[in-house]
Amino acid sequence: MRPPALSRAAAGASRLLTPRAAWTRPASTTSSSITTLTTTRRAQPNLQPTTASRARAYHASTHPPPPPPFSPTETAILSAAYTHVPTHGFSQTSLALGARSAGYLDISTNLLPDGVFSLIKYHLLTHRELLSSTPLPPTSTLSAKVEHLTFTRLLANAPVLPHLQSALAIMAQPSYIPTSLAELAVLADEILYLAGDVSVDPTWYTKRASLSAIYAASELFMTNDTSAGFRDTRAFLARRLGEAEELGGAVRSVGEWVGFNAKAGVNVLRSWGAPI
Amino acid sequence: MAARTLLRRALPSMRSSSSLRQVPFSSSTLLQSRAASSSSSSSAIPDYAIPDPSRPTHFGYETVTEAEKIERVAGVFTSVAESYDRMNDLMSFGWHRIWKDHFVASLNPGFSPLTSGPDPRAPQHILDIAGGTGDIGFRMLHTAHTLNGNPDVRVTISDINPAMLTVGKQRSTLLPASQQAALSFVEANAEDLTKTKPLSSTSTTSETNPHTSAIPSNSIDLYTVAFGIRNFSNIPAALREAHRVLKPGGVFACLEFSKVDKHPLFNTLYKSWSFGAIPLIGQLVAGDRDSYQYLVESIERFPSQEAFRDMIVDAGFVVGGDGFEDLTGGVAAIHKGMKPRV
Repeated sequence: MRPPALSRAAAGASRLLTPRAAWTRPASTTSSSITTLTTTRRAQPNLQPTTASRARAYHASTHPPPPPPFSPTETAILSAAYTHVPTHGFSQTSLALGARSAGYLDISTNLLPDGVFSLIKYHLLTHRELLSSTPLPPTSTLSAKVEHLTFTRLLANAPVLPHLQSALAIMAQPSYIPTSLAELAVLADEILYLAGDVSVDPTWYTKRASLSAIYAASELFMTNDTSAGFRDTRAFLARRLGEAEELGGAVRSVGEWVGFNAKAGVNVLRSWGAPI
Repeated sequence: MAARTLLRRALPSMRSSSSLRQVPFSSSTLLQSRAASSSSSSSAIPDYAIPDPSRPTHFGYETVTEAEKIERVAGVFTSVAESYDRMNDLMSFGWHRIWKDHFVASLNPGFSPLTSGPDPRAPQHILDIAGGTGDIGFRMLHTAHTLNGNPDVRVTISDINPAMLTVGKQRSTLLPASQQAALSFVEANAEDLTKTKPLSSTSTTSETNPHTSAIPSNSIDLYTVAFGIRNFSNIPAALREAHRVLKPGGVFACLEFSKVDKHPLFNTLYKSWSFGAIPLIGQLVAGDRDSYQYLVESIERFPSQEAFRDMIVDAGFVVGGDGFEDLTGGVAAIHKGMKPRV
């Protein structure tokens, strides 16, 4: 004679052909029904979404890297053009000379959808991606790492510094502002991620916002900096980061004080018999 | 008047002007291309890209054969040639000039920086397909010769329709002599640029003028087609022919009406203008309702930005970014592709 549990399991196995039926059957607490469900789940077609084909709105370090922003042909033209930027600036001339040295024609620069702005985007993207290979001092605080990374990124502007103002002017053109701001936000996020920031509270946003503002200000300062090794820019950056930290500390302290007093007030009211 | 009689003959079935019936249309040369391309190898020319006079295609909302479409498009443009420029202004409130200016300025023909040493500039050859009355060709010459100071730029204006070319040739007499010298007019079918013949002053049919020459492969820097490609009978074939004549690194650029689907409200306004007013303006100004009815219907039948971009990629071009740029919310769109270096 067959025990009832086994027969139920056998019935579950026969449902393998129609796996959906196994999911919809009423849940029972016997251990055999759990076995049934596990077997059935194994027989299910892969329910995992095919993430490769779907665009994600977020990024995680465990995911495969996103597709490169430029196609190989675009990269060939842009990387060749970028070598002409120190001489000719972010201009159509650099692009045409780059296309020529990549073996294309003067007219081939039309491949780039945004023309000169594509070259600026290339500058921003390549230097942001280079940040991940920056060696970090191992035993330093988060803020020291942030300062180090931000200054490293600023130094990458040095070869094209005489043309940085014109690049900023192009980035500020109305049709390019969204892309430019998005790139700035991604840069701030990258710096904080590489520095090891793991905050999961509202400071996640405030840190990124303040770093974006500080980076933009420092970059503007840098365009007029003539000191050796950009000492003044580094000092400027350190002052701004310090201020942000002080301000953040002050805001936190005020919040703590307000919270403490509010709680104390409520407790005083309760001690007087208020029904709170 | 003679031209109009010709059109009446070419358009045997007169459609009632207000009917906007949508012919269910599954076997167009445009749409079957996606399905076929995945199975065919990339080097061989797929079937849909080989012109076949008996294959069905669309003419406005009607289904006709490719040969018939060539004939009827010829009829339409022979009929509208003389009023073409005036009508463009009326239908688009003059806005087509802005689009064309932007198109040419963004292409920046003739731009060629000088470097130290020997002059590195290579002469540029621009082929303006369906260039008829010269709107794009003249702007190209102005940008290249005057703005970019590069006199080494030649423009060949090609059209299948000698009536349109004649109008262009007349208009070109107002250009500076140096620009006229850099300009040539040829009569050719864009699907087969191996048989082109120069525009002759006397009207001759193709039988009596045997001097046809081919546009050689890998000879063109910039191939442009503005508001013309939707009239082609076989667009994949024309794209492959463009790919053939372009040099590696050469650019295919197309300005064409497109879809406004991203802006539903504006789309409603635009559709009611194009279906309500444009045939009427055509009737009042050019005395020819059917040609303009065809115009708006052919815009409606043209593939969307993304679909046309995929056709360009399918023909062997590489595109950057999205591969297209919307103008005026998508009423028109610029598509660009580059022939890759192999």
